[in-house]
Amino acid sequence: MRKLILRGLAERRSRLAGVVLAVFLGVSLVAGSLVFTDTINASFDKLFERSLKGSDVVVTPREVVRQDTDEPPPFSDKLLTRVRRTDGVEAASGAIFAVVRLVDSKNENLGAGFAPNFVSSTVPKRFDPLTYTDGRAPRNGTETAIDSGTAERSGLKLGDSIGVAGDRSVQRYRVVGINEIDGTSFGGSSSATLTLPAAQRVAGREGKFDQLLIAGDDGVSAEALQARLSKVLPRSVRVETASQNAARETDEINEDFLGVLRTVLLVFGGVVTVVAAFLIFNTFSITVAQRIREFGLLRTLGASRRQILYAVVGESLAIAVVGSLAGLVGGVGAAIGLRTLFKAIGIDLPSSGTVFEPRTVVVALLVGLLVTVIASLVPALRATRVTPMAALLEAELPEARKRGKALPVITVILAAGGLALLLIGLFGGSTGGAAAGLMGGGAAAILFAVSLYSPKLVKPLAGVIGKPIERLRGLPGRLARENATRKPGRTAVTAAALMIGVALVTFVTVFASGISSSLANSIQKGVKADLIVQNSDGFSPVPAELPAEVARVRGVAETSSFGRVKAKVSGDKSKGQYVSGVQPTTLGRMFKLDFEQGSAAALRNMTDRQMMVRKSYAKDHGIDAGDTVTTLGANGRRARFRVVGVYEDEANVLSPLIVTMRAQVRDFGDRRVVGTYATVTRGADSGVVEDRVDSLLKKRYPSAEVFDQQGLQDEQESQVMPVLGLFYGLLALAIVVSLFGIANTLSLSIHERTRELGMLRAIGLSRRQQKRMIRYESVITALIGTVLGMALGVAFAALVSQPLEEDGFVLSYPILQLVVILILAALAGVLAAISPARRAAKLKVLEAVSYE
Amino acid sequence: MTSEPIVTATDLHRRYGEGDAAVDALDGVSVAFERGGFAAIMGPSGSGKSTLMHTLAGLDRPTSGSVMVDGIELADLDEDELTDLRRDKLGFIFQFFNLLPVLTAEENIVLPLSIAGRDPDPEWLNQLIEVVGLGDRRTHRPAELSGGQQQRVAVARALVSRPAVVFADEPTGNLDSTASAEVLRLLRQAVDEFGQTVVMVTHEPHAAAYADRLVVLRDGKVSHDGQAGDEGQVLELMKDAG
Repeated sequence: MRKLILRGLAERRSRLAGVVLAVFLGVSLVAGSLVFTDTINASFDKLFERSLKGSDVVVTPREVVRQDTDEPPPFSDKLLTRVRRTDGVEAASGAIFAVVRLVDSKNENLGAGFAPNFVSSTVPKRFDPLTYTDGRAPRNGTETAIDSGTAERSGLKLGDSIGVAGDRSVQRYRVVGINEIDGTSFGGSSSATLTLPAAQRVAGREGKFDQLLIAGDDGVSAEALQARLSKVLPRSVRVETASQNAARETDEINEDFLGVLRTVLLVFGGVVTVVAAFLIFNTFSITVAQRIREFGLLRTLGASRRQILYAVVGESLAIAVVGSLAGLVGGVGAAIGLRTLFKAIGIDLPSSGTVFEPRTVVVALLVGLLVTVIASLVPALRATRVTPMAALLEAELPEARKRGKALPVITVILAAGGLALLLIGLFGGSTGGAAAGLMGGGAAAILFAVSLYSPKLVKPLAGVIGKPIERLRGLPGRLARENATRKPGRTAVTAAALMIGVALVTFVTVFASGISSSLANSIQKGVKADLIVQNSDGFSPVPAELPAEVARVRGVAETSSFGRVKAKVSGDKSKGQYVSGVQPTTLGRMFKLDFEQGSAAALRNMTDRQMMVRKSYAKDHGIDAGDTVTTLGANGRRARFRVVGVYEDEANVLSPLIVTMRAQVRDFGDRRVVGTYATVTRGADSGVVEDRVDSLLKKRYPSAEVFDQQGLQDEQESQVMPVLGLFYGLLALAIVVSLFGIANTLSLSIHERTRELGMLRAIGLSRRQQKRMIRYESVITALIGTVLGMALGVAFAALVSQPLEEDGFVLSYPILQLVVILILAALAGVLAAISPARRAAKLKVLEAVSYE
Repeated sequence: MTSEPIVTATDLHRRYGEGDAAVDALDGVSVAFERGGFAAIMGPSGSGKSTLMHTLAGLDRPTSGSVMVDGIELADLDEDELTDLRRDKLGFIFQFFNLLPVLTAEENIVLPLSIAGRDPDPEWLNQLIEVVGLGDRRTHRPAELSGGQQQRVAVARALVSRPAVVFADEPTGNLDSTASAEVLRLLRQAVDEFGQTVVMVTHEPHAAAYADRLVVLRDGKVSHDGQAGDEGQVLELMKDAG
């Protein structure tokens, strides 16, 4: 039997190549996702560990509320004296580590894409992780050193000038050194080293530190020192050994970002694998159908059903092993591909050496083997139903008549269950990962249900799609349509594989278009200001001096600035909630606010002990005017606010909770502003004023940008693009696999119709006509999948956007893009037909007509 | 009936394989078929009768020698021109009915015209369908037709474009005797009433008896070329040849 399996494989190798390729691609993406994220993880780990070289214990601020930026509030430099006085401390040093914007001599960004820029302060040699490849460390307030990656990227040399835009206007420094941390990678991040006073000043942290690096006396262990220091230092700081600190930092990156990234990538890997499973199922179904005589003969010769089952499953197992092993190797390539893809959209992550965990091998092999074998199980079982008589008759395979009754029931259950999951996920009140899981599971179940039902849809859809082709192209079109509907089950499974990819692409497209139109809508409806100044990344704070300078620009009538902090809020289970400190007297002239409770006057007169709450938040948390809300700030301070209004902000820019700016500083310890909105004086040309603000920013505040309403809208839309690009890139892989599916099914079907094709060629069908016929069949199959996928994608988008409506989400249908997808799908069909058509063209007419 | 030949083969050789394993399927065959005649080609297995027909029909190319069909030298044609020639000048009937299962009987009949993008002459089509006795089966699919009916559809398809010559490759090989007789009567009728030229390869003497002329092949050479006669005479001839 084993010999039979191997011979069979060798015989059909060209037809099974598609299956191997599909397994390969699925496994590659799964393995690649793991390798990619593991590599980043290890790179960060290495970076954190190496940067604490020479330290036994590290003191950092304790984050009461986890902040979005990697910047907990710094602590007082007085702690350093206390540390130095502690028994067992040999040396200690304070350091600054702050997120800033680094710019070149023309004030253009030095960093790559979205990667953050940092400044750090020089530390004594024993703690210094940096090695200088060129020049030396800065010695005074006019000097700096930059990392070698940035120097390479930007071509900066010793003696060049760079700017640091931190908490104040851009400060210039002369590059006196190029440094690196041995064996690590910063990815696209840029880092500048300054002397301690310079770093403190540029970060706005005079008299403060972000970090204390501590080395113990000989014979004092890091743990002992940690214990001693914990006793003398306040609760507001965290005292950790160097390795604890590095591990925690890595964990946090994992939790905040890498974990999500890994899950997202694996979901896409899963999608590709499911699509591959469709292809495998279809290929095995067809080959089993074609080998019915062979199975009949084997049964006649005394092979048991079990042996037939083993023969087919054995074949799939062999394919699975080859495809999975190749996929494992391909995973390294996929990881590189993912890195390139991320880099292309501006996310250049650190990567030092490829990390191949044993876990990756296990997961990838399991996925490959299980998916292949499970997908081939149904065809294999069907093969066992072949009777010995089949060898003698040219019989059609028993089209699983028993399945006939159970199938509709399964379909309905799947569809209903899927819809239920989707709805629970949407409206059931669960949040984050759980909701996404429910919705994803529901969507998957619905997709399966539709693909089970799709054989019934093939005929009508092919009719609708095929009619115009037939009208235009005559006989080849007609035959293509008929051939596509000949084995509806086969066409349906082939199309369903494409359907999955198209459904997701459509969903993403419709959703992205919804985001765009919602942004447009909310800005038009909700913003009254003429000019908007914010950080060019869209969320980070702007320098502290900026609002006042903008206000002084000629033609600016009035400004209103607001900040954004994260705090714990009573009655709110989330880890942290956004609170905005605003300037109450002017806010109402920048935003169009509606008050469900309270009034515009109540806002104008809001005191530092009062708060206003966004309508949706108030509703979800049962807050009304007159209630008291308690907050816990990142500075560890508790504060009580009396709610004096419930507002609706169409612009969706302000946080769910607003307090006065003074309260933000006092109760949350953060004076930073994230947005300055301005009106221009009556009669002034707002374009001219915008230019004036723009030149001020270019000169002094390169990290900030000014927009008019339209500009802000464009800017926000453009921020959606990279993610969209990433999703498209990943989904393209699923679509490629389904195209292999179309090509495979076509090849196998053509093989079945050899004699027919021969006859057609004998009676005068030209090669070109034959090619056209095959191409149209492929196009029809592709369009069936696309139409189904598009309908589902639109439906999903419409459903998922339902609960978002109260946050101002407006669904819009990007007709143009959908038409483009349709055209691309038709082209993809043409593409998929190339190889089968070529093979059919090679068919010898003579052999085909005398073929039995 | 004129004696002007419509298909002429001159000194045809067809060799398969090379060296010691080479087989001469045709070894110097010269034969001509006159317009409006019904010829049968017979011969034992491996005699080269199918190869001769495939070569005459432009499905296979001879190693050497010449084939003229309706004044056209096939050797001068490239693949595409051969395809057009088959479409426009030749009709085919195969042993296994070779209908397209996805098309109706009538659509199968007009297939050569559809391929060429031409509309059938409705009068001729009606007459043809009447003659093959499928008037009430026009919209049926092949799967809904009996074997004999299917082969009659194939005959009509071969005749629909009024080709210069119809080649029939074992047209009754897969039919019972009643259906066989019907198909052969149809071919005879096509020759007698429509002036069609038919060349048929068969191994059944009773089928050959419907023809005017009998060509017997043996080991790639013509061993008999003359009147067909009745079934008994054919059997005699075959005995001599075999």
